[in-house]
Amino acid sequence: MQLTSKSNVTGKTKKVTNVNSALAAATCVLLGTTPVVQADEAVWEMDTALLYYGETDRITAVEGVFSAKKDFGDEHIFSGKIILDALTGASASGAVSQPSAQTYTRPSGKGQYVIDAGEIPLDDTFRDTRVQLEAQWTQPLWDDMRGSAGVHLSKEYDYLSIAVNGSLAKDFNQKNTTVSAGLSLAFDTIDPEGGLPVAFSEMVIDQGQFANEQAYQAAFDATRQTGTDDKSIVDLMFGVTQIINRRMLMQFNYGYSTSDGYHTDPFKVLSVVNDQGLTQSLVHEGRPTERTRQSFYWQTKYALDSGVADISYRYATDDWDINSHTIDSRLRFNLSGNTYIQPHFRYYQQGAAEFYQPFLLEGSTLPAFASADYRLGEMTAYTLGLKYGMKMPSGNEWAFRLEYYQQDPKNAGFDEPGALQQLDLYPSVKAVIAQVSYSF
Amino acid sequence: MRQLRLSTLFFIISFSPLSLSFAQEMSAPDFAITNDQLPDKLSALTGQVVYLDFWASWCKPCRKSFPWMNQMQQKYAGQGLQIIAINLDTEEALAKAFLEIVPADIPIIHDPAGKIASDYQLLGMPSSYLIDKKGTIRFAHKGFFTRTEALYEQELVLLLNE
Amino acid sequence: MLKKVRLMLAFLISTQLVGCANLGVQPWERDLLAKEEMALDSEGIDLGLDDHIYFSKEATSGGRAFAGGGCGCN
Repeated sequence: MQLTSKSNVTGKTKKVTNVNSALAAATCVLLGTTPVVQADEAVWEMDTALLYYGETDRITAVEGVFSAKKDFGDEHIFSGKIILDALTGASASGAVSQPSAQTYTRPSGKGQYVIDAGEIPLDDTFRDTRVQLEAQWTQPLWDDMRGSAGVHLSKEYDYLSIAVNGSLAKDFNQKNTTVSAGLSLAFDTIDPEGGLPVAFSEMVIDQGQFANEQAYQAAFDATRQTGTDDKSIVDLMFGVTQIINRRMLMQFNYGYSTSDGYHTDPFKVLSVVNDQGLTQSLVHEGRPTERTRQSFYWQTKYALDSGVADISYRYATDDWDINSHTIDSRLRFNLSGNTYIQPHFRYYQQGAAEFYQPFLLEGSTLPAFASADYRLGEMTAYTLGLKYGMKMPSGNEWAFRLEYYQQDPKNAGFDEPGALQQLDLYPSVKAVIAQVSYSF
Repeated sequence: MRQLRLSTLFFIISFSPLSLSFAQEMSAPDFAITNDQLPDKLSALTGQVVYLDFWASWCKPCRKSFPWMNQMQQKYAGQGLQIIAINLDTEEALAKAFLEIVPADIPIIHDPAGKIASDYQLLGMPSSYLIDKKGTIRFAHKGFFTRTEALYEQELVLLLNE
Repeated sequence: MLKKVRLMLAFLISTQLVGCANLGVQPWERDLLAKEEMALDSEGIDLGLDDHIYFSKEATSGGRAFAGGGCGCN
């Protein structure tokens, strides 16, 4: 079911869907909860990792992973994972910067924050911890056929995600070809502090116009819709892995995903600006209630004499009109029998969603759906990283990874009125990723 | 009815632990052996039941197969069983490293070029072939599983008692 | 619609590799493919953490699967 509407501002038809908010809300569906290929028998293999993600002046996150897997005999493998992450910092609210200071209300309705002139408005109320649990069972079913099933649970203060997955993989041509099919069903619910805002309702800012606290609260509540809202996601994945020669293998995957329900980010707003480019008011964003995505993925791994070259390309498209290209490459150089370094380069490019608008123009008809979240806009991003790994005499392995991630949002073709022309509406987001891993 | 029987048969076969009986029994391809404990070629072993196991250092299930093969060799050597483990590593050093961790009480031959493996038309790794006293391949196994060890032993006994 | 058909066709053609019996190696020639670092899920933890970051900061997610490859044993 697709809802379309014509917007007088852009004259384009728009469809509706939702994308989760920052690192605070994560539903990793089919990725990560996939069948384990092999494990050692009689022993638990554990992998632990600690990751630090820090953007300059914005979000900081720390994530810890503990994973254990064991082969219970003849490739009947159980794998479990626990992930804990903590997030703090500020994230772009979607409003545009202004030539003078601005005041905003926090999404919870409790408190305000001020943005300096010329600065991109960041909402710094993100402070959240999340727990994620995963369990996966893989076993052979028939000759050359394996099956896998798993569950996934993710919980944070205002978000809950539950998913189940199942997949089958069959080998052909003396295991040179493997065909796999997977299905994942997820159910998410969101219940943020302050409730869910009504789409396009104005953000209520207390500038002394309210007689008392209750009057403010009443005005704030008027912009809220009641209850939690949820989303269901169905993911399908079809893949073919083919051995090309003694050194090389390739993988081709097709992914199809539909999600239904609340996709709006309750913390994001749009600025309504006049023809001088000055903000008149702020309204909450609204995204469609449905999204259908497709992805085409190709990967090659090549065994060098002392290392591995790994390169992949992914093309993704959806009915929000977001098209993206991703190139990811890793080159592993074995320095010795026990140590290696691995440079990493990733390039990502995406086009803007149909309903993406950096701001709304005062006086124009409100579109059915709009979002100024730069993560739905046009952007390119690249990652440059280096990983160093070493194997101890005991067989345990340490690895250290340091990466730099930069996102460069771009103007998807919107004219900037008045004062907005002098401001940088699309600032880059720069982040450092550091990780330590230990396997034993 | 016929369809049901055929599909049931197919179902049973696909569930079976990969123990295939050659419909058209093949006589075991001969090859030269360079090992002090054995005669200089396979055909010289007629009169004995031979269990040929193809393995490599990078094959994880092979780690389980060796203790079982050692056990079988010890148990049935007196009755005329000869197990031979054929290594398919391209570098002998890798095979040696494996054998230091997984001890082998059975003779090892090296086939780095994979010539013997191609003659036997290996379907997977590891692979094993049971050759009867007349030199015909009677059973072929693809892979090694703990759950099929008893079945393989039964096959050995069957051939030894012929 | 036509675009979708073309994309589906491109995928179907690529799946014809199932019939490409001349591609691949003999079971005993998988020594390099059997190496840990050649497994598709060899850096599963890293890939999972990265996917989480990119899922949160970009509009696209997923794409990978881990089946196949490796030593082809059992």
